[in-house]
Amino acid sequence: MEAPPVTVMPVTGGTINMMEYLLQGSVLDQSLESLLHRLRGLCDNMEPESFADHELVYLLKGQQGNPFMLRGRRSLLHPTAPWHLRYLGQPEVGDKSRHALVRNCVDVAASHSLPEFLNEMGFRMDHEFVAKGQVFRKGAMKVVVSKLLRVLATGNTENTEPLSLSYLVELSVLAPAGQDTVSEDMRSFAEQLKPLVHLEKIDPKRLM
Amino acid sequence: CSTQVLCENGPFCSRFVCWHANCGALQKNTRDIVIVLLYHIRAEGGYVCVLFRQQREEKQLEASLESLHARVAHLKGSLQSFILKLENEHDRLTWPSVLDNFALLSGQLNTINKVLKNEKTPSYRSQVIIPLLLSPDRDEELVKLTEQRVPVFSHEIVPDHLRTKPDPEVEEQEKHLSAEAARIGPEVAQKQIQTLNKLCSNLLEKLNNPRDDRDSESSALRQNKPSFNPADTNALVAAVGFGKGLSKCRPPGSVPPGHPGQPTMSTGPTLQQVTIAGTTGHQAGMGGQVAQQQPGQPGKMPSSIKTNIKSASASMHPYNR
Repeated sequence: MEAPPVTVMPVTGGTINMMEYLLQGSVLDQSLESLLHRLRGLCDNMEPESFADHELVYLLKGQQGNPFMLRGRRSLLHPTAPWHLRYLGQPEVGDKSRHALVRNCVDVAASHSLPEFLNEMGFRMDHEFVAKGQVFRKGAMKVVVSKLLRVLATGNTENTEPLSLSYLVELSVLAPAGQDTVSEDMRSFAEQLKPLVHLEKIDPKRLM
Repeated sequence: CSTQVLCENGPFCSRFVCWHANCGALQKNTRDIVIVLLYHIRAEGGYVCVLFRQQREEKQLEASLESLHARVAHLKGSLQSFILKLENEHDRLTWPSVLDNFALLSGQLNTINKVLKNEKTPSYRSQVIIPLLLSPDRDEELVKLTEQRVPVFSHEIVPDHLRTKPDPEVEEQEKHLSAEAARIGPEVAQKQIQTLNKLCSNLLEKLNNPRDDRDSESSALRQNKPSFNPADTNALVAAVGFGKGLSKCRPPGSVPPGHPGQPTMSTGPTLQQVTIAGTTGHQAGMGGQVAQQQPGQPGKMPSSIKTNIKSASASMHPYNR
């Protein structure tokens, strides 16, 4: 009998563990146009996609530890499109020299019965918001410029107000774990957006 | 004389040559190309051997022409590839790569300039190119040499390709400018030169010596129009990360007063909500409760969990909510 293959972890599932590399920043409303112009020049040449999404964040409160958070997102512009369910893990700590925030990421599509399903499973909706903006792409990198809007009445996405006077700018890449060249590429791209926007690694725990 | 001089490998060969009537002595004329021939007649057979010596200038001319030709060929190659890129890939082209191409072209032009300015390069102005034979017939060799651009070496192309004077319009402009310069007189010209020099030196000084007061006033100007607000960044990231500043949604029956254990269980894990200020309605009451119980949380947690397991599973039934 030959020796079993040496692997770090037993291969049980069919999907690769994807990590999301993330850099975030913001831009004031009055400087939005210049940022969009610059992104149009730097990113792949295609019409930038506009989006308007309604995101609901569900929490499953377990008996111990932190609650389990899932994010469900639906498009307000394409009401028949499937929902997008996403799990984001805790940011990986350790390598301080790494330039981007790295966290585990699982994305699945879901049908329109997602909210009821999650409720049945025991999740409770913690908060919701509407995000409107544009998406740019450069190779594997994705730049999302979005305005976050607070939903004033639960479930009513018509009645919203902006959360702040800025747009949120996020630079993200989905890649398998262990590819550190990705964060170098992200950093050099972020350099090109200075001084309009400072994209940096922001640890959400610091802001709690 | 019609035969060419061909023997530069050694003093002895067997080709017939012709020699210039005035030669026999080495002439150091740097302007003209003088071919000096030394010949050695062998007593036995009457072979005429030739030592062909070129002037230093001719060799230099050849070498500089070769290097110039190579540089121009490089420039032509990069121009060609740039044009191809613009024609075929213009929808995929990004501004940084266009800038790279321009930088490459500018670098190559610079090297050409350096070659021309090199002290080893003879002055090309003293060379004259005279067409010896013009014909309206198509010349295949020429076609090959010029990549299909010049098929015929005829009277039409010679004025364009062998031109040494600038275009008539450019000549006009130059004449106009020199007339203008002569007209204004030496004192005015001197004053203009001085003003220009002063402006240039002022600018250079400003660029080379950053002064603190200049920096502060320019940074004050810049502060009037910053393009991002770090506080906003933090607020947005917190909102997206864990819902800070967004109203918390609680189903109406989530805090039933008759379940004392439940608030502790639900607030234990959600410690992050304690720091959120100004959240709506019923949250405020929960916040108050949490503040009291927070110090005892770590100790209480295990016990409250044990006691609540049964009640929690009962209350988690969807109908109760």
